[in-house]
This record gives sequence, structure tokens and C-alpha cells, in this order.
Amino acid sequence: MTGININKNSVILAVLVVLLLLLPMAVTKPYYLHVIIICLLWAYLASSWNIIGGFAGQLSLGHGIYTAIGAYITVILFNTFGLSPWLGLFVGGGAAILLSLVIGYPTFGLRGAYYALATVAISEGIVVLLNNTGSIGRFTVGGAEGLIVKMVGNSAVAFQFNSKIPYYYIVLIMVFLIIFVAKWLKESKLGYYLVALREDEDAAAAMGINVRRNKLIAGAISAFFTALGGVFYAMLIRYLEPNAIAGAGMSTQMVFLAIVGGSGTVLGPVIGGILLALISEIIRFYLGGQLMGLHLFIYGMIVLLMIIYQPRGIIELFEKIGQRFSRKHNDEGGRSGAEDPSGA
Amino acid sequence: MQKTLLELSDLSIKFGGLTAVNKLNTKINVGEAVGLIGPNGAGKTTAFNLIVGVYQPTAGKVVFDGEDITGLPPHVVCRKGIGRTFQVVKPFGKMTVLQNIMVGAFVNTSKNKEARQIATEIMEKMGLQGKRDHLAQNLTIPERKRLEMAKALATQPKLLLLDEVLAGLNQTEIEEAVQLIKTINREGITILMIEHVLQATMAICSRIVVLDYGKKIAEGSPQEVTSNSEVIKAYLGDEYENADS
Repeated sequence: MTGININKNSVILAVLVVLLLLLPMAVTKPYYLHVIIICLLWAYLASSWNIIGGFAGQLSLGHGIYTAIGAYITVILFNTFGLSPWLGLFVGGGAAILLSLVIGYPTFGLRGAYYALATVAISEGIVVLLNNTGSIGRFTVGGAEGLIVKMVGNSAVAFQFNSKIPYYYIVLIMVFLIIFVAKWLKESKLGYYLVALREDEDAAAAMGINVRRNKLIAGAISAFFTALGGVFYAMLIRYLEPNAIAGAGMSTQMVFLAIVGGSGTVLGPVIGGILLALISEIIRFYLGGQLMGLHLFIYGMIVLLMIIYQPRGIIELFEKIGQRFSRKHNDEGGRSGAEDPSGA
Repeated sequence: MQKTLLELSDLSIKFGGLTAVNKLNTKINVGEAVGLIGPNGAGKTTAFNLIVGVYQPTAGKVVFDGEDITGLPPHVVCRKGIGRTFQVVKPFGKMTVLQNIMVGAFVNTSKNKEARQIATEIMEKMGLQGKRDHLAQNLTIPERKRLEMAKALATQPKLLLLDEVLAGLNQTEIEEAVQLIKTINREGITILMIEHVLQATMAICSRIVVLDYGKKIAEGSPQEVTSNSEVIKAYLGDEYENADS
């Protein structure tokens, strides 16, 4: 029975991958492709947040600082030295890891709301810093006016493309990468430790888990991948504005999408990211011009309804549907098999 | 003479003006099963927390397996070979029973497959195989108590500290649990258990330590302890002793 399920799943997966690879042939308008790219980017960012926020249950409300540090460092190195963003992203990602450790060491001792508040305070501080730093030595940071990525025309080395299609494939690979990381994490010792310490820190410690160390590792992994998302954002938009890249909007959006999709699961944040970003874009497209802020209001209502009626995330809906399907199959095969909820 | 596994010397802790554990001295030999009893608030659970490093002792030493482990943090103490259960059980609610036990098994392996194998064996020993894929938050109290023991056993300890694992169970369940603990002890795991169910403690333990107001007031075989006048006084009050004599 399990064998059939795996085969069925891999067939569905293969079809999905092929469809996604062929998508740019069907979607020829750059605007539509851009919307899809943004949706995938949000799916990626929500999944990156999910490693520390979902699996380890540490409610970070300041992940915007990691998108910002990745983006700013990569762009500054590119603008100043012409260093390829493909190399710059490792510097940016590395800096995000360091920052996560510096922030995590004192704050991971805090529990519950105190940790969340600390992350808000730190990220707000960094937004103020970015807004007020015009330059550091010869490095232009841009302050409140923002930082423009130096244009060099169509160049793969410089991560600049005239067409949207390369961006689409890059972000698609990023989403696959983060799903792979989450899937690995879920099966690994680290993943078990994170969920255990999320459920009960004292019990986790009594079972040999170094709580702070494991939080730091999860925080570093999460920060690194979040920073890569920031780099992609910078190269796609080609303009960094402190409030947009580091602000509360960026930070809370990741949290919303992950929770609405289903935090602590492998695919929940991906589904939440794509679905909500799409809904938000559709509402903005149709209502954006009519009444100031109406589209944001409606978007907020939708998020609210989802949280009320589907508190464990959209992923749970998908799992229920999947279970109903497999149960039907089991009944036809004359087996109940209802004891095993782990099939999905 | 048997080998000493755990030695507490002058172990003490003060919370403000209150001395919760006062100069506790005792030795536990390899393979023994020892009971730790005493009225409510006598400092039994606090003594456990001192052994595993949840609290730092104000004075005194904890020597385990020939090594001074005083004040080491709980996760290190666990890896030295001391497993403990909590009086108020702490299952990882959103994990399945098997996953709960696997967390403990990961102390000795990094491979998912091996951890699963170790956990499955312990799950079967504890009679939880029927609940394998149930979320821990959906278990009944007796099942939770057994899961609590299974989690501690999965870390493959030399010494198992059991904090009131029989509380809240009915007579049949207590008898089952007693057999289970005896089996665990017979298989070579030394046991120190806090228990209010005296009859069960006597069935399991060859030696009992009695605490009252943080102090050890008696130690010995179950018969010696239960006939000790200090112990009777601690449990039933002065008047009972006076009336008796």
C-alpha cells in the first residue's frame, strides 16, 4: 500500500516539476511572470523563517534584518568593487549567520513573548540605523533615499537579466532547495531536537538536548537562507529601501504566510506563501486603484478568516483531502488502515 | 562491597531563607532500586533537580560513576547516564509516541534509522506499540506515564530517576507499572524513585531514604523505615506517636 502511495506521489511530483519548468512558455506577459516570481519568493522566505519560527517555535518578528543584511552587503560589494552577486551572496549569507548568532546568544535564553519582543526591538533599531547611514567610509549605503543597484545590462555574472525568465528559474530552484532543506531537517536529529525543545524546553534538556545550542544552529540556518532571499529581492527590484527590505512589513509578512500555510510543516509555508501572495496581488490588481488601502483591508480580512477557520494552516486542508482519497482506496482494497495518520 | 553509582555528600540548597534540601548524604550502588519518600514539601523533587543540574546546590557534591557532576547542566548530566521523568509529565504533545521516544534515542546515534530501531524496542517493552503513531497530547494519563518512562529509557541511562510515576494510576495499572519497573531494574538499570504509593515502593525497592523538611530522617530496608518512630512522626504527626507510646 505504501509503495503505491510513494509511486503515486512521485508521479504527481514529476508532473508538477515539468509543468513548473514549462511555465514561462505559457506565461508570456512579463507582468504575470513577475507576479509568479514574487509569489515564489514569498514562499521561499516563509519557508526560511519556518526553520526557526515553525520547527523550533521561536517567534522571530525581526527576520527582515536578515533579508536586509544579505541584500545590502551583496549590493554594496557589487557597487563598490564590482564583486559578482553570486559571490557576494555568500558574504551576505555569512554575515547573516554571524548576526543571528550575536542576536541569538543573549535572546534565546528568553522564553515566549520576551523573545518575540526582543526581535522586534532589534529589527526596528536596524531599520533606523539603515535610514540614517548615508555611507560607511567609501561604501555607499544610501540612507533613507535607498540604494540603487549599479546597472550593467544583461549579464549573468552580475545577476542582471533583461528578461524575467532567468529570475523565474532562479527563484524556482531556491524554492526547491528550501523544500529539500526542510524535508531533510524534518527527518534529521536536529529537526527532532527542534520540535522537542519547541514543545517543552525542560523535557528536552532532560533528554540530553542542549537547548540554546540547537536554537542557535536553527537560527543560523534560517538567517542564511533568509539572506539569500534578500539578495534575490535586491537583484530583481534593483533598488533597496530600508523600510521595504528590513521593515516590519517584510518581517511580519514571512510570519503570516508561514502560519497561515502551516508552520512547522515542510510544505505549509510554501503553500501559504504562494496562495496569499497571489490573493494579495489579485486584489491589488482589481481594487488597488479604487479606494486607498481597500485592497490591504480585504487582504487582512482574508488572513483573519483563514486564521480563525483553519488555525493549523492551509496544509491541514490538503492533508485531509489526501487522507480522504487514500481512505477511499483502502476501503476499496478491503483494508481500513485508519490507524496510520502519518501517510500524508 | 558493591560499586557505588551515585553518591550525594552534604547536598544542600537554600531558596531565600528556606533550606529545601539540607545536608543530604546517601549512596546508591550499581543495580539497586532505592525509594525516596517523605511528606509533601520534604524536598524530594528538589533533590532530583539538584542531581540532574536543574538547580545549582548551595553546598555539597554529586558524584556519579566516579565523576563529580555537581552543577553540570541537565543536558550534560543526561549524557553522563542519568535519565529522569517529571512528576507532571512532559510529553512532546505534537509529536507521535514513537517520535517522542526517538528524541531520547538520538542521544546515542545521529541516524534516523537507528534511533527508530532503539525507540521501537523501548516502545514495545513499555507496551505502547498500539499507540505508535498517536500524538502524545491524545494519550491517557497511564499512557503518558509510560511514555515518560520510555523517553527517559531511550537515552539508555545507567541510573533512572522516577518522580511519582505511579501517581494517578488505579490498582491494576499500579501493579502493571510495578512489574515494568522491576523488569527495568532487573535488566541492569539502577533506580531511584520518589513515590507516595508506599506499598508499591516496598515491592520494588530494597532500600528507602526518608526526607522531612529537607533532611534525611531515616534510611534502611522498607521494614526498618516503616517501624522508625521519626518516620511515623513525620507522616502522622507528634500526637500519634505520643498516643502510641
